[in-house]
Formats: sequence, structure tokens, C-alpha cells
Amino acid sequence: MTSTPRAPDGPAVVLDGVHKHYGDTRAADGVSLTVARGEFFGLLGPNGAGKTTLVEMMEGLRRADSGTISVLGHSPWPRDVKLLPRLGVQTQASPFFVRLTAREHLRTVAALYGADRAAVARTLEMVGLTEHGDVRVDDLSGGQRQRLAIAAALVHEPELIFLDEPTAALDPQARRALWQVLRDLKGAGRTIVYTTHHLDEAEALCDRVGIVVRGRITALDTPNRLIAAGSTTTRLLVPADRLTLAEAEGIEGVRRATEDGDMVVLETLDSGPVLAAVDKIAGLRGVQTRTASLEDVYLELTGSGAP
Amino acid sequence: MSAYAALSEAGYRAYTRDKTTLFFTFAFPLLFLVVFGLIFSGQDVEESGKPYINYIAPGVLSWGVCNAAVFGVGFVLMQWRRDDVLRLIRMTPTPLTAILSSRYVLALAIGVVQSVLFVAVAMLPLFGLSLSGSWPLALPVLVLGITAFLVLGVIVGSYAKTPEAVAAVANFVMIPMAFLSGSFFPLDSMPSWMQTFSWVLPLRYVNDGISAAITGDEGAADIALACGGIAVFALIFGALAMKTFRWSDKV
Repeated sequence: MTSTPRAPDGPAVVLDGVHKHYGDTRAADGVSLTVARGEFFGLLGPNGAGKTTLVEMMEGLRRADSGTISVLGHSPWPRDVKLLPRLGVQTQASPFFVRLTAREHLRTVAALYGADRAAVARTLEMVGLTEHGDVRVDDLSGGQRQRLAIAAALVHEPELIFLDEPTAALDPQARRALWQVLRDLKGAGRTIVYTTHHLDEAEALCDRVGIVVRGRITALDTPNRLIAAGSTTTRLLVPADRLTLAEAEGIEGVRRATEDGDMVVLETLDSGPVLAAVDKIAGLRGVQTRTASLEDVYLELTGSGAP
Repeated sequence: MSAYAALSEAGYRAYTRDKTTLFFTFAFPLLFLVVFGLIFSGQDVEESGKPYINYIAPGVLSWGVCNAAVFGVGFVLMQWRRDDVLRLIRMTPTPLTAILSSRYVLALAIGVVQSVLFVAVAMLPLFGLSLSGSWPLALPVLVLGITAFLVLGVIVGSYAKTPEAVAAVANFVMIPMAFLSGSFFPLDSMPSWMQTFSWVLPLRYVNDGISAAITGDEGAADIALACGGIAVFALIFGALAMKTFRWSDKV
């Protein structure tokens, strides 16, 4: 199809004050965000927070009640056939034409986009389904079906790719393989907007993440900066046979010490001096340090445990 | 490959790989032919003096072809919308006309195969249909009939959200219409108010047209009138279909 876009102008996606209600449910409650070209943008949030609604409004599958959405400089609603070939979309439903093989399905989708036939074999290869090409879609495993749905989003080499929980049904190997596919796409200058429940994945892949809670973006930054701005507590895990709880509580800079199985857990804001103190008392063999991850920040922001 | 060709190919494969549906699409009208053919074997209709088979064969054939057109597109549209296949197509630059014309060409092909098979069986000595020389005039009637009922199927498939609903709505429309249009019983032996009422049913015109063409009992003018009637219904259904069509049940 078209060559890979270079030196693109303007942001890939702009949302400004977007609202969407279903009855009393506020699926999007004044969302504003910008995704730059070439960016890998992740949307995180609990189930029902409004991630899918946001993505589907960007794709043009749903219409916003109010606010403006611009995708590659165009409005995605109403259906704009000039814009569509530039977008790649994988929805959670993973739709397939009935009673076709994986290759036949992908060939059909490629034809719907007007993509060339060679793209079919190339894309099947990309998602690792070449040897399953002649298997009926109904007979594929859950993970294979998901990879086929992703292939259908990529077959026409779109500039902007929307993936809704693409790694949900994948086993660890397939997940890592898809990470590589996504990194390669980003390397080729494509923009990716995706939703996920895997925080390790978002931390590893995304340039920026937005955390969605009850239809609002509650945090929007790079994973590293979100982690830095969030919890600064570091946990030190020391084998319990070498350090008593009393000794641990006596170390300067330890805010809290608890026993967890065969480890004593020390919480501190400044891990350096505490580590030095632990070294003197117990030695550092077997000591583990846990810094805050995106998951901690996420749980904090989404109010896990709170109603 | 164009979007239209790709969708037609995908539809053709899906269709021919579903042997059960394929079998019953062709067997269903034949079953009715056998049942009614045997019930009225060798009898003439009192009011007109013509053999029953001259009524039943064109009637059952029209109903079978139109029924297949309604159900075929109705089920596919509902399934495609429910399974998000329509959303997938919606996200490609494929025009709606490519989707509908791919279903149209499949429905025409099915209708032609159904008709050939059906007429061949009806001409067996057991049933005793004799084909008039004007039979090629049945083709335009058939094509128009499939068009009108395919569009009716689009309305059903857009309205219904489950396979059960498609079957219920399509049967609710098609079965009474088959009886009231004279597909299963000769209209000539029905009360006059029922004969009058049948003029508001599209299947009546298909029955008339096919009957006139393959039995040669009426002239070309009657066939033209039937075609005109079907075309009017096709236009009305077309306008309604444009209003009811949805890419998705979610908005």
C-alpha cells in the first residue's frame, strides 16, 4: 500500500473534552488527551472504566456525546472511507468470517482494505501463524485467534494502530513474541494506541500511559515518571533468620518493619543507608530490594480495595 | 481482488461448507412439492379446470426461492452484526453496496440452482408439470423476486438481534404470505376477499409471474404486470432497508 509515513505532521490523536454516557453510566467524562505520531500509548484501568469506549470513539465505531475527536487530522465520525485505510483496528470481539481458514480470512480482510496479496503471507508470518494458515478459524486456539485478529489489524500497513487488550488470551511466549512485533511497528514509525491489563507490559512497551478510572483520565505520563511521582517507598526483604523484627525497627530510616513468611520486610524512603545498616547486622546475601512498579501506582490510583 | 469479489468468495465458501443448510435450502421446496403434489395428484382445480400442479409448482417454487433469499441474508446480517464482522467491514473502506451486492449475487445463484432442480423434479411423470415455451420469461420474475425478498431479508436481519429472532420474524412474514398469496393452495379456490387481499403481498406477484411463464396460461402482459408489482415492493423495501441498516448494535 502506501509507504511508511515519515516526517508526519500534527498529532495522531487528539481528544478534547470528550463525554459519552450510557444511561446513567459515564463511560467517558470529559476526557482530553493527545497522542503524538510514532508514540506507543497505553490505556490502563479496571474493567468497565471506559477504556474500550475511549478507543472505540477514536476508531469511529462509537460517537461521542460531546467534545471533539481528531484522528490523523480528521474526525473519525461519521464513517470516513479516506481515513479508514490509515487505521488498523483490533477489537475485543475478534470477529471472523465464518467457515474460512486463517489465510482465507486474512485474504478477505486484505481485499476489503485493497491491500496486495503478498501482504497476507507477510502478516501471517509476522504473528507466527504461517503453519496454521490452512486451519479453519473455528479450530484455532484462543491465542491463535487473537493473533489472527491482530494480523487483520496490520495487514494493510496502517499508520495508526488501535489494539484493545491484544495480549489478553496469549500465553507468555506468544505475548513476548507480540511485544517484539509491536516494538518493530513502533520502530517503523507507526503510532500505537492500546489497552491492557498487564502493567508489566505497559511499563515495558509504552512511551506514555493514561490511567482511566470511571470515565476519567486520572494519570497521564511516562511509566517512569508515574512511578517516581507515586509511591517512593522501597521494600527491603531480609531473611528472617538473620535479622529480628526488633533489630529491623531499630535501623534509622526504616518506616515500618513486618514479617512475611521467612522474610523480614523493611519499608523505607531512602534505601541506601538502610542497606548499609542491614549489611553490618546481617550481610547482604539473599537480601532483595523491591522498588515501586507501575502496578503499585496503578493500584494506588484506581483505589484498589476501596469501593 | 475487489472487496465485492472477496466478500462473494468468502460467502460462497461459507455457504458451500455448511452442508446441512445447503441441503435443506434445496430440499425444503422439494418437500412441499412432494407433499402437495401427492395430495392433489391428478386433480384439477374446480373453479378453473386446470391441473393442481400448474398452481402448486410455480407457487412452491416462488415461495422457496423468496424464502431462501430472506433467510439467507437475514441470518448473515444478524450474525455479522452480532459477531462484530460488520464492524470489521465498517473499519475498512468497503462500501455498503459491495457487501449487499456480494450477498445479492449469492442469492441469485442459489435461486437459479433451486429453480432448475425444482422444475426438473416437478416435470417427473409423478407430478406431471409440463413446461411452456414461454418459460425463459420466468427469469426476470425470478431475479426481481429475489431482489425484493433479499431486501426484505436485510430489514429482518437488521431488526433481529438473535438467530431465533430472525427465524421467528422471517417465518411470521413468509408462512402466512405463502398461504395468502396462493403458493400452497390455488388462489382461484379461495374466498374472493382473500384473492383481493393477496394483491398487497409481494409473493402474489412472484407467483403470478412464474406461473404465467412456466405454464403459459397467461400472456406476456401479465408477466410484465407481475414484474412491475415486484419492482414496486423492491423499492419500498429498499427504502425501509436503508433506514433500518445498522453496522453495530452498539453506538
